[in-house]
Amino acid sequence: MSTTSTVKSDYLLLFRGNVWDRGLSPAQIQKVVSDWMAWFEGLKAEGKCLGGHPLEEHGKVVSGRQRTVADGPFAESKEAIGGYFYLTVADENEAIEIAKQCPGLEYGSVVEVRPVADVCSMRQRAEEYSTRQFAEATA
Amino acid sequence: MLLFRGPHWDKGLSTDELQKTMDNVMAWFNGLNHRGKVKSAQPLGAQGRTISGANGRFVVDGPFTETKEAVGGYLMLQADSFEEAVEVARTNPVLRYGVSVEVRPILAECPIFARHPEIVRRAKEPAVSAEQLYATIAA
Repeated sequence: MSTTSTVKSDYLLLFRGNVWDRGLSPAQIQKVVSDWMAWFEGLKAEGKCLGGHPLEEHGKVVSGRQRTVADGPFAESKEAIGGYFYLTVADENEAIEIAKQCPGLEYGSVVEVRPVADVCSMRQRAEEYSTRQFAEATA
Repeated sequence: MLLFRGPHWDKGLSTDELQKTMDNVMAWFNGLNHRGKVKSAQPLGAQGRTISGANGRFVVDGPFTETKEAVGGYLMLQADSFEEAVEVARTNPVLRYGVSVEVRPILAECPIFARHPEIVRRAKEPAVSAEQLYATIAA
């Protein structure tokens, strides 16, 4: 596993579990929504969040050699991604601390924290692979 | 937004095949970029944390990028329509190796407002200006 991306300061927060509003009263929903917006605006004002968007609940999934187009993901599923924040922070701990402030956590939201990589890991693996092969061939 | 899932598509490919596919991926990406279709795109590092529970009390390692569902990167597409975005996704060179591409429209506003029309879009409301406030008090 590559260790180069751990020093990066950019992180993506991916929000999952987007049916957190089920069973909540309008007042509770209002509070979560207001807190979420205040959280987002606050992070932007501090320069820690460069942007973020909700995603429409429905989309398509393209896969396979036949390039099949299917409906999905299903927004009801706990794993579906409902939106993201793009963070620029000091380190992973700061990104995690920010994720912990997500107002939806109490109601079932799940936040995935992922470092944004400089180089595509695939490309990196390909390069490492060819370097190794080159080294072996010339040894 | 295009979300690329299944980052370990390179397993079992020969160096030549991998190199050729990477070249195809870069050509695909450069072509889109050249046509002004790419707003932003980043690979994500393999490491990550998943945060859940009230006040983010559960912090676990993951997602595990070995899983086919793990997101390995994203591409924010400037498409004229959802159909165009799906067609772009269908041209992705790594679909044949098991990567799936999730195509999701980006929203300006959280879908929660459509689900709960009674919820107030507080952050969207213009702040009351000093003049308005003064006029209200004077009246």
